[in-house]
Amino acid sequence: MEEPSGASAPRIEMRRIVKRYGPTLALDGMDFDAAPGEIHALLGENGAGKSTLMRVLAGLVRPDSGEIALDGRPVGIGSPTDARVLGIAMVHQHFTLVPAFTVLENLALSAGRDPMRSIPVRLAAEAAIERARELGWTLDGNARVGSLSVGSQQRVEIVKALATEAETLIFDEPTAVLAPPEVEELFAVLRRLRDGGRTVVLIAHKLAEILAVADRVTVLRLGSSVASIRTSDTTAEQLASWMVGAAPPAHPAADATPSPRPAVDACGSADPRDLLVVRGLCVAGDRDELRLQGVDFQVSGGDIFGIGGVDGNGQSELAEALVGLRPAAAGTVLWRGEPLLRGRGISIGYIPQDRRRSGLALDMTIEENLILSAIEDPVNRRGPFLNRRALRELAAGLASRFDVRAGSLDLAGSSLSGGNQQKVVVARELHAQPDLVVAVNPTRGLDIAATRFVHEQLLAARDRGAAVVLISTDLDEISALCARAAILSFGRLQPFQVGHVSAADLGLLLGGIATRRGAI
Amino acid sequence: MSGAPIRPNGPQYSRLLVYAALAIGVTTVGILCRRTWPGAALHAILVGAVGDSRSGHLYAISESLVSACPLLLTGLGVVVAWRAGMFSIGAEGQLLMGALAAIATAGLARNMPGPVLTLLMILAGSAAGAGWSALAGWLRVRRGVPEVISTIMLNYVALYLVGLLVEGPLQESGQLAQTAPVPAAAMFARLLPASWTGGVPARLHSGVLLALLAAAACYVYLYITPEGLRLRVLGSNPEAARTAGFAVDRIRVRAMALSGALCGLAGAIELAGVAGRLYPEFSPGWGYSAIPVALIGGLHPIGTALSALFFGGLAAGCGNLERMTGVSAVLINVIQAAAVLAVIGVRAWRNRSAGAETV
Repeated sequence: MEEPSGASAPRIEMRRIVKRYGPTLALDGMDFDAAPGEIHALLGENGAGKSTLMRVLAGLVRPDSGEIALDGRPVGIGSPTDARVLGIAMVHQHFTLVPAFTVLENLALSAGRDPMRSIPVRLAAEAAIERARELGWTLDGNARVGSLSVGSQQRVEIVKALATEAETLIFDEPTAVLAPPEVEELFAVLRRLRDGGRTVVLIAHKLAEILAVADRVTVLRLGSSVASIRTSDTTAEQLASWMVGAAPPAHPAADATPSPRPAVDACGSADPRDLLVVRGLCVAGDRDELRLQGVDFQVSGGDIFGIGGVDGNGQSELAEALVGLRPAAAGTVLWRGEPLLRGRGISIGYIPQDRRRSGLALDMTIEENLILSAIEDPVNRRGPFLNRRALRELAAGLASRFDVRAGSLDLAGSSLSGGNQQKVVVARELHAQPDLVVAVNPTRGLDIAATRFVHEQLLAARDRGAAVVLISTDLDEISALCARAAILSFGRLQPFQVGHVSAADLGLLLGGIATRRGAI
Repeated sequence: MSGAPIRPNGPQYSRLLVYAALAIGVTTVGILCRRTWPGAALHAILVGAVGDSRSGHLYAISESLVSACPLLLTGLGVVVAWRAGMFSIGAEGQLLMGALAAIATAGLARNMPGPVLTLLMILAGSAAGAGWSALAGWLRVRRGVPEVISTIMLNYVALYLVGLLVEGPLQESGQLAQTAPVPAAAMFARLLPASWTGGVPARLHSGVLLALLAAAACYVYLYITPEGLRLRVLGSNPEAARTAGFAVDRIRVRAMALSGALCGLAGAIELAGVAGRLYPEFSPGWGYSAIPVALIGGLHPIGTALSALFFGGLAAGCGNLERMTGVSAVLINVIQAAAVLAVIGVRAWRNRSAGAETV
C-alpha cells in the first residue's frame, strides 16, 4: 500500500488491527490511514470489516491487537468518550438517538450533560440546529425523535456529530436513506468539512458516490485492506473487482423483459388484469395527521410497480395500508375486486422498511425468525403443536437457499450482519410464494451481492405472477426493476416515467411539484 | 510505525457488581450470624433444605418441595406474562384471588365427593386468577393503563378483599379471622407415609406434582405451539409482531390470563395442599418472590423450576436456621436480593461483551 504522495503526516494511522468474533475473523491485521483535509471512502461488501474498523476507531470495539496513532502520536481508544476527547465522531448507520427525547434534548445529550436542567447545553443544541439550517436542513427542535422519518433522524444524527467540533468524522453509509437531491446536499456538506481541514471517513457501497465525493478510497475484503488509491486514479470497474475479488456480472434487471403494459399508463384506468387496485386512499399517521391524501394506482399480476420518493412522505403508511396493518381513513384497497383483508384468501409478503425495528425479533433465534410466518401452514403443525422437525428443515433449507450466512441457526438474530438479517426477512416473506409482495427499501444498507440477490428474488416473484409493489428511495433500483413507477411526495403520487426524466424534473417531482401531466 | 499497544480490557463494572452483591450477601450472613459460626448457620440452612444422615433426607426435601410449589407456579405466571412483554407484578393478588375462589367453591360445593371438589377448587382458583389478571391486560390494551401499575393496585384490592371476606361472609363461626377449613376429603393426598419420615408426617402433597406438570406444560406452550412462538415474538419486539400481522392485543390479554391462571392455581393448590383454610396472612409474599424466582430462572419454565426448587430449599433451610440458632428467617430475603443483583450484573456484563458483536 502506498502513502499518498505529497500529503502531510496522516491524521489517522491504524496498524495491524485484528478483531475476532468467535470463529469469525472480522479484521485480519488491517492497515488504514487517512490525512487531514481528505474525504476517505471505505469500500467493501457486508462483513468485509468496514464498520468494525471504524467502530474500533470510534472506541466502540476493542481490537484484539494492533496500534492506532493520531497525528503521529500513539493513542489508546478504550471508549467512545476517549474517541470524543481525541476529536473523533461517528454518524451511525443505525441511529443512536433516544426516540422519546426531542431533537434538542438529543443534541444536548451528546454534549454530555443532563438535557433537562442545563440551560447552556440547551443553547448549544440550539446552535447546532442553527448550524443545520446553514446546511439547508430545517430541524424542529421540539419534535420527538421517535416520530421523525428515518431520513430526518439521520440528519439529527449528522448534526449531532458535527456539533462536537470533531476533527475526524466517520459516516457509516450516510446516503442509504437519502434521495438524490439530499445526497448532493450531504456531499456539499462533506466537501465543506474537508475544505475546513477535517478528515472525513465515509463507509459506502455505491461506487458512483465514492467516485463523486471521495478523494481517496480504501477497498476492504474479508477483513484486510486490498487497495488504497486516489479516486482520480481508478475506475468503478476496478473498484468493483477489488471489492468482490472478481468483476461482478451484469445486473439481472438489465436484461429483464419489460412488462407488456405501457409505461405511460402509470396511474391510468382500471384493467381486468389488475389484481391490486388502490383508489382514493387516504391514511392517517401515528399522530392522526393525514399522511396519504388520495392515492390511486393499480398493479397486475407479473408486474412490479415502483414508488419512489424521499422517506417520510407517506411511504411507510402506504405500505402498512397495503398489507392491512393500517386502516384507510378514506378510499379503498381492492384485491381481485374485493376489499383486501390480510389472511383472507390472499398471502402477502411484506418486507418492512426497518428490519431491526419491525422485521425481526433480534433476541430470538435465527430459525425462529425464519419460520415466523410459516407456522400458519398446516404442514408445519401437528395438532395444536408445531412440527419442529418440519420447521427445522424448512429453516435450514431457507438459510441455504437464501444464502443466510450464520454459524448456527440457533444463534440470536442479532448475531447476524445487517445484510444477512435482511436475507432472513426476504426469505421468510418470499419463500411461500405470496400473491402480493410489498417491499420497502428492501436493499437499504446491503452490499452489491446481497442487493443483487434481493432484486433477483423480487423479479422471481414477479415472474411467477405475483403483484409486486416496490417502495424505495433508490430511484436507480426502481428504474432497474420497474416498468411502471410513480413518485410519492407529500402524500400524493406523481407519475414518473422510468428512464425518461431529467435530473431537474426529478428534483421537482421529489419536491412534490408535478411535471407535464399534472397531479393525479 | 509508531503506536502503543491498545489498552487491554478496561474495568468491568458489572462484574464488580456481581462480586459486590455476593460479598454483601455473604457479609450479611456473617453479621446476622454473629452469635453463631457462619459455617454453622450455613450448615443449618443446608440441613433444613436437604436434611442430613441423622434426621434423614426425605422430610427436609419434602419441606423444600412444599415451599417451592407456590413459588414455582407464580414464577411460571411471571414467565408467561413477561415473555409476552407484559410486566405484571400481580402474581400476589392473583394467587389470593385463586385461593379465595377455591375456598368459596369449597364452601358452596361442600357435599361433593372429595376429588370432584378438589377439581372444582382448582378450576375456580385458576379462573379467578385468570380473570383478575386479564382485567389488567384488558385495561392495558383498551385503555392504555400500564400493567405494572394496574397489577400492583389489583394486588391491594385482592388483599383487602380477602381480609374483608374472611371477617365477613366467609368467616368461620368464632373469633378468628379465618374461613372454615376445606373438607378433609378435598385436600390433596399426602405422598409420603409418616413411617418413611421417622414418624413425623411430611407435608409433601400431590399438588406439587401438578406444579411440576405446569412447568412442563409452560415449556411446551412457549416453545412448541404457534401461540407460544407469537407470544415470545411479541415480547421480544412488539413492532415485529404487529408487522407480522399478529393479533397483538389478543395475545397480550391471553398471556395475562394464562399468567393469572397459573398464579390462581398456586393459591388453590396451597389452600388444598397445606393451609386448609384462608386467612389474611395466607401468603408470605410468594407472588412478589415469584419475580426473582422467574428472573433467576432466566424467564424460562425449566430454569424457573430449578430456581423455585433452590428458593424453596432456601425457605425450608432458613426455617430450620431460625429454629436451630435463632437467626431470623428474614435472611432469606437478603439472599434473594443478593442473587437478583448477581443475575442482573452477570446479564449486564454479558450484554456489554455481546453488544459489540454486530460486524
